[in-house]
Amino acid sequence: MKHCRFSFLSRPSFQIIIGSAICLLAAVGCGSSDSGSAPGAPTAKTDTVKAGQKPTVALVMKSLANEFFQTMQKGAEKHNSEHSSDYTLISNGIKDEQDVAKQQELVQQMAGQAVGAIVIAPADSKALIPVCEKAMKAGIAVVNIDNKFDRDVLTSRHLAIPFVGPDNRKGAKLAGDYLAKKLKAGDEVAIVEGAPNAFNGIQRKLGFEDAIKAANLKLVDSQTGRWETAEANKVFAAMLTSHPNLKAVLCANDNMALGALAALKAAGKKGAVIVVGFDNITAVRDLVKSGDILCTVDQHADQLATFGIQYALDIVSKKASPVDKETPVDLITQADVK
Amino acid sequence: MKPKIPPAVLEYTGLLVALALLIAFFASKAPHFLSIATVRTIASSVPDAVFLAVGMTYVLIIGGIDLSVGSVVGLSGAVLGVCLGVWKLPVPVAILVTLGVGASIGFINGSISVRWRLPSFIVTLGMLEMARGGAFLATGSQTMYVGGPIERIADASIFGISLPFVCCILAVVVGQFVLVRTVFGRYATGVGRNEKAIRYSGINPLPTKIAVFTICGVLASIAAVMNVSRLASADPNGGTGFELQAIAAVVIGGTSLMGGRGTVIGSFFGVIIIAVLENGLAQIGAQDPVKRLATGAVIILAVVLDRYRHRSASI
Repeated sequence: MKHCRFSFLSRPSFQIIIGSAICLLAAVGCGSSDSGSAPGAPTAKTDTVKAGQKPTVALVMKSLANEFFQTMQKGAEKHNSEHSSDYTLISNGIKDEQDVAKQQELVQQMAGQAVGAIVIAPADSKALIPVCEKAMKAGIAVVNIDNKFDRDVLTSRHLAIPFVGPDNRKGAKLAGDYLAKKLKAGDEVAIVEGAPNAFNGIQRKLGFEDAIKAANLKLVDSQTGRWETAEANKVFAAMLTSHPNLKAVLCANDNMALGALAALKAAGKKGAVIVVGFDNITAVRDLVKSGDILCTVDQHADQLATFGIQYALDIVSKKASPVDKETPVDLITQADVK
Repeated sequence: MKPKIPPAVLEYTGLLVALALLIAFFASKAPHFLSIATVRTIASSVPDAVFLAVGMTYVLIIGGIDLSVGSVVGLSGAVLGVCLGVWKLPVPVAILVTLGVGASIGFINGSISVRWRLPSFIVTLGMLEMARGGAFLATGSQTMYVGGPIERIADASIFGISLPFVCCILAVVVGQFVLVRTVFGRYATGVGRNEKAIRYSGINPLPTKIAVFTICGVLASIAAVMNVSRLASADPNGGTGFELQAIAAVVIGGTSLMGGRGTVIGSFFGVIIIAVLENGLAQIGAQDPVKRLATGAVIILAVVLDRYRHRSASI
């Protein structure tokens, strides 16, 4: 077949490149889908877990580029190694947090492999519901962690997917209340929000606002930093200029708090404006200790997946009925960092 | 008789008018926009984008494109973070290692696309993924707080102007000079305009192409150093989307996506226009959808205006 329409495809060098690239990608792909033992029989449709058979739990996370989900995965792997006789773990993440389609695909793949349970941190609180519904109809237990599915959509579809996770709004309120103690009524504050389409980002903003209202602080500006350090840096630098009397900034995650802190330094206002973060990532611990960042909030990512997996196993073995479970949220201040 | 205007002034008139209009608009909307604080904020935030734009200008002029620069910023920043935070290397050594990373990636980009005559679009798209993966590996997917001596780069100032800003202006001046006044610059323009003609006149275009990608990589690493020193932290997601911002700035500045035509100074104004737009929108408290709509519209508008300018110039 030398007369290929796409003549460049028949060039041997090109074929070799493409061929080796595909092999390489396949090898990389195999390498990354860890804890590789093959999941159960793909034909099982109704009752995926037979008596005496070890169930497979699929953990579907958001971006593994995010420290929060890295910690979550490590927590899950640790739990799995301690309970390796109870279940097999397959963990997967998507490339970036906005990649909703890829996560839908992942859920379908996991359902196709007839796993016993899917524990999912959805990238979108609505768009992932239909694929999860299909998985449930195939007899797979689904547990929702981290980012809560939209209640209205669940109700309209007559679905009950249990949620195991922290109350982001409550966490943000804790941080806001702590900040309020350092300020007086009428002081100007600003919020740097997470990505505008993220449920947890919206909840954190609401929690900050709850605290601001309760303490009669004045919210003068609230804009998104899209979860990123550099973006938050730019946005907050502009906010600082337009609101010279700003007393504090509440950031929906620690990466953005780092960006805000850098903006303060550049403007020579370090110490004059208080910075509050969220997530308790390693990078901010020293800054909380030194007082550069007033406080942050720990949602215990490592335990989050563990709770979800444990709960999924309980549901599979019919020990638990699906209801929501709240996980702890802790305020981290200078006194908590040693 | 038309009054004689120096061609250099004419070249940038459109950009300066656009910039003036933007500034006037925001000055009327935001009470603190016309202030030293705004100038300082913009001056401290643009250097990384300017370095990227200088490199991207050359790449576009030779008729290529480099989609990997954002990821190279991420990877270089990660390497810098590891050098300083984990290996505790002295700052100059750490910076050299970082620049080495950028140079190698640029060299690989250029060599692969030249050796197998592949479009740089696809080679650098692959590199975009690889460099980002490398950044996650190097940092263990965690944001690293760096701080310490590296912050002094962003803090330093010469005659009251921040060191990174002085450096980026220097890069623009040198970049423009090399483009217009040196053999290398002429070759680069020639390669973009008509590679065959260059070949037939007995010049091998390959070294020029590889050199341009390598320079682009080094400049991306310099941008990363500026970024890390300003933010005092190395974020594995740092630089995401910078490639598109750089391309937008360069094209706003009048460089052709088809190659063969462009100026580094124009790219600098392109960066400033985008920075003023970002800062102004944030100061008036525009919400995210509005910001995106406005930024996109300004990019298209600027390029359309540029098209008119060049049409009238060629008649």
